[in-house]
Amino acid sequence: MKTIRAQQFRSRMFILPYSTSFLVFIVCPIIFAAALAFTQLDLTSKEHLHFVGLDNFREALKDPYVIQAMKVTVTYSVMIVPAFVVLAFGLALGLQAMAFGRNFVRGLIFLPGMFNVVVASIIWRWFYDGEFGFFNYLLKRVGMQPIHWLGEKTIALPSVVIMSLWWGLGGATIILLAALQQIPTHLYEAAMLDGANGRRLLSNITIPQMRPVLLFIVVTSTIGAFQVFGQTFMMTNGGPERSTTGLVQLIYDTAFNKYRLGYAAAVSWLLFGMILVVVLIQAWLLRRAVD
Amino acid sequence: MRGHFLTVLFLICFGLGLVKLFSGGGPLARAKTEISFWNGWTGPDGVAMLEVIREFNEANPDIEVSMQRMAWDTYYNKLMVAAMSGRGPEVFVIHASTLPRMVRAGYLDDVSDLYGPQSGILRADFEAKVLEQVKFGKKMVAVPLDVHPQGMFCNADMLVAAGYKNPDGTPRAPATGEEFIAAMRSMQRVNAKGEHDVWGFSWTFWRNNFMALVPQFGGRYFDENGKADLTNPGNIAALAYMGKLMNELKLTPPAESNAGWTGYRQKKVAMLFEGVYMIGDLQNLTDFRYWGAPIPQIGPKPGTLGDSHCLCIRTGLTGKQRAAAEKFIAFLSDHGLAWAKAGQVPARISIRNSPEFQKLQVQSAFAKQLPYLEYPPRTPLLFELIQEIDQAVERVLRGDMTAEKSLKVANDNVAKAIDRDKLENDKELNGS
Repeated sequence: MKTIRAQQFRSRMFILPYSTSFLVFIVCPIIFAAALAFTQLDLTSKEHLHFVGLDNFREALKDPYVIQAMKVTVTYSVMIVPAFVVLAFGLALGLQAMAFGRNFVRGLIFLPGMFNVVVASIIWRWFYDGEFGFFNYLLKRVGMQPIHWLGEKTIALPSVVIMSLWWGLGGATIILLAALQQIPTHLYEAAMLDGANGRRLLSNITIPQMRPVLLFIVVTSTIGAFQVFGQTFMMTNGGPERSTTGLVQLIYDTAFNKYRLGYAAAVSWLLFGMILVVVLIQAWLLRRAVD
Repeated sequence: MRGHFLTVLFLICFGLGLVKLFSGGGPLARAKTEISFWNGWTGPDGVAMLEVIREFNEANPDIEVSMQRMAWDTYYNKLMVAAMSGRGPEVFVIHASTLPRMVRAGYLDDVSDLYGPQSGILRADFEAKVLEQVKFGKKMVAVPLDVHPQGMFCNADMLVAAGYKNPDGTPRAPATGEEFIAAMRSMQRVNAKGEHDVWGFSWTFWRNNFMALVPQFGGRYFDENGKADLTNPGNIAALAYMGKLMNELKLTPPAESNAGWTGYRQKKVAMLFEGVYMIGDLQNLTDFRYWGAPIPQIGPKPGTLGDSHCLCIRTGLTGKQRAAAEKFIAFLSDHGLAWAKAGQVPARISIRNSPEFQKLQVQSAFAKQLPYLEYPPRTPLLFELIQEIDQAVERVLRGDMTAEKSLKVANDNVAKAIDRDKLENDKELNGS
């Protein structure tokens, strides 16, 4: 009995450092932010803090900037998540089929993800530069008109999406490739003996077997898309005309430029609610498909 | 064996302790008053300031000033949080335009007694409008170190080649609206495909460009009662002029382009409006002759935008620390010329009148605008205002709205922010 207790004590001691940091840096801030959302905390006011009930939420739901940022966030997510999943899955299938040089290509695909988002954004800002950028240089070489990649309202967000795909695709591809390699080969062998072609193998074996991992990729990429900030902040600073200002950037501006921490906390909880709803729907749809 | 090891270890530690003691880490060093100085000068200006601080530390062995600099956005966030928790630096820099927020938050100490013959900082050595910026009620909350106006940077060779030169051969920048447009036309170079190889002029930082023109047209941001007044005729005229140059006369790169400052450095833009502090970016260019001039008078009267770096002391300093902070501020104020060389216009008239300052071409040219320079409006809601100005200018330059309509949208949003702020502060005052 004593030995079991000693073991339990030791195991608790092992998880204590992480639990402590989780409590201090994750749980406590969440509780603090929850409380903050119901207060007015303005760093530039003499009386910093007081309770305002649901006022912050009411104001946020009527704030045209919040509504616009929600639209931008949703548009960005709708553009990037399907492209992200399809491309990562396609790349994983391609890599799986490669007989030679798979590791090299896998390394190349994974490489952009090694860059910090700031570095990646600065590189792409130069690629996209209207006057001196690499892409416009190529366009001019083939006799085409330059494009103002980050300067036009309709093009700026898709330009950010392209950069984000380049930057984030590697990680998802590696995960999907690993999952592909876990599918038992006898399933394919049996299907081929039954005369299944490539398309049937993909739709009847590969995709069903991959669904749990695809669910993981869809959910994590959706959460990431809703939280887009670094790319837009560095490449467009939310412009032109706020066409790339997502909710996280709005929260940042509200908290750290306007110093309205209570209101920013309320908008953060709205963002959390949006993510939760979307992810629950995705999970339900994919689980239903698996069942 | 173990005994020997411990003996050697002891001797090493003892030796290091002695070295530390006699090299300044001992009681003498501990007697020093330490002053932490924060600012946002991350460019060549920061390097110049480090040199001034080194001189101060050498001249004052009983005080040790250490400087921490970071990008302005990060700086203000960090300063706000540090000040809120009472852990702010002893001395720090605040833009004159940001002072109202910091004053409302109660983070700045009264430095009225710093002005006087004992420190050498005389009120008479500043323009009234500059001192006005640091005065809140009866208190002076800061010492202005500089004034940084928006002015016009020109490519000296292009000006001269286009015939804009004085009898002595020095460049002569356009001074009126008509001359300005004529200069743009004569300096632009359009190739056979109709593309601009060189633009005569480019807008740069749209908000500052707009705010530099507003005083020329008699514009303002708030009325006498503190209500938003962005739709006044002066603002509309200033914004319409910006749109006209870009979209009607096609004399500037289009809104989608970012030719601006980079284009100027690459000799693809002949003239632009920028802050005097941008000189730091030009000083190391060996094959580029730049020229500074006041912004041409485009509206009915001359005018431009400016701001000041102000030296502040945090609340709660007493005794030696307060005295050291005051001594340091007086030293910085006194060394305005070194600061000017880094690309600033000193706030003190006596320094601006010195022959050394007059030799600094761009700085002295920009300084000529001080009599009619205007500061951003005094409001704790500055971020809310400039956010709306950014949007308003962008809508016009992109051709999405007229100046009048765009400023109306901005005005409504600023009015809402004022109402909200008033409501919140009234709640505070009523204790609810």
